[in-house]
Amino acid sequence: MDPGVLIVGGGLAGQRCAETLRRRGYEGQVRMLCAEEEPPYDRPPLSKGVLAGSVAEESVGFRPAAWYEENGVELLLGSPAAGLEPGARLVFLADGEPVPYAQLLIASGGEPRRLPFLEGFENVHYLRTLADARRLRTGLAPGARLAIVGAGFIGQEVAATALGLGAEVTMIEAMEVPLAPILGAELGRWFAELHRAEGVRLLTGVLLEGADGSRRVERLQLADGTRVDCDVVVVGIGTVPATGWLSGSGLGERGVEVDASGRTALPGVFAAGDASVPFDHRFRVHARTEHWDAAAWQGAAAALAMLGEQAGAPPLPSFWSDQHGVRIQSVGHPHLGDSVLIEGDPAARDFEAVFVRGGRPVAGLTVGRPRSIPALRKRIEAGHQAAREEEVPA
Amino acid sequence: MTYVPVVDPDECSAHGDCVEIAPQVFRLDDTAVVIGVGPDDLIMEAAEACPAVAISVIDQETGETVFP
Repeated sequence: MDPGVLIVGGGLAGQRCAETLRRRGYEGQVRMLCAEEEPPYDRPPLSKGVLAGSVAEESVGFRPAAWYEENGVELLLGSPAAGLEPGARLVFLADGEPVPYAQLLIASGGEPRRLPFLEGFENVHYLRTLADARRLRTGLAPGARLAIVGAGFIGQEVAATALGLGAEVTMIEAMEVPLAPILGAELGRWFAELHRAEGVRLLTGVLLEGADGSRRVERLQLADGTRVDCDVVVVGIGTVPATGWLSGSGLGERGVEVDASGRTALPGVFAAGDASVPFDHRFRVHARTEHWDAAAWQGAAAALAMLGEQAGAPPLPSFWSDQHGVRIQSVGHPHLGDSVLIEGDPAARDFEAVFVRGGRPVAGLTVGRPRSIPALRKRIEAGHQAAREEEVPA
Repeated sequence: MTYVPVVDPDECSAHGDCVEIAPQVFRLDDTAVVIGVGPDDLIMEAAEACPAVAISVIDQETGETVFP
């Protein structure tokens, strides 16, 4: 029997691959190896509604259980992949059991970057899975003192949610300005101000040096001598591809490089989502994307490639964040901008920022202004188009 | 009920927020698709919630686009 398609990973990219295969009429076997005990679910609510308790856990599943039965998508839950032997077209489970494939999608996602000196403490949390969110929520009672290490988007969303639950929040960031490498100093400062105005104690430009406590962290020590007393610690300092299981397979353990359709260098092997490092045709580089929209698109594109079809050009990168009742949306590549034009009223949390490079818009970020996104998207696409035309060799 | 939503399939990445908000109006396939009608405020809520801003709303009495 044809072993069909094996999807390693139960996240968004894997789910979209399975859905696209079935919708395009693929009739072979489709199996998903899910590391977690949960059927595939959506992660963005974990730092928001699920953590707040306002969104039921059951509602984050991508599809009801019946969908997987009706569509012949077999879920192997609690089954992380442990190895790959591409010559034999086999993936191995932790107990050594081989799972054959004709075509493989590597969609094992990302995992939080960890802080070695906070290992082993009971009250140190990372937020990636439903189980993580569940565990963290129990610690966020009103009055709980929460210390968040890292003021990136995960840290900021957790800060906003925890504040809403009545926690006292201190957020510690090594950089002088949060998000500065991605959004620039001006917008980074706006985010810092947003959190301070809401009541988050935000400490920036300071390194974490150590922790006091035995089973639980009771106090964090910062390099400038500050001590932060805490009941709960959340670490949000980025993710790395969860691809250690590919060790020895010839594919990158630090993320799998793929073309724009998700093909790896190995026959029949594709990768998508946070485990992958896709080729960006606009800039001709391999770069991780780490955004929801990218994982969704890449999973579907890989399915098309498996079927011998070609996906269209990938859309502009985009992301969104919900914090303190404000919706923040971004489209394009903000880090490429060499200047930022702001229109509107940042103090009123109602503005749009256009990131410009060499006179052309390369990204836009809106706060409380979803209506501006479509026009920004068009301007950025037009800018890329113009840049491409200028680059055409004579 | 004079508002009609239109999903741009090129921009929709099937987040599914509109389906959660207005299941009688939207269904999730490859992208969200419009399957019915609903109260104007619910349609506006769904359009505003879309992280991709892929839903436009047209007032069919006036023909005007009221969102985005």
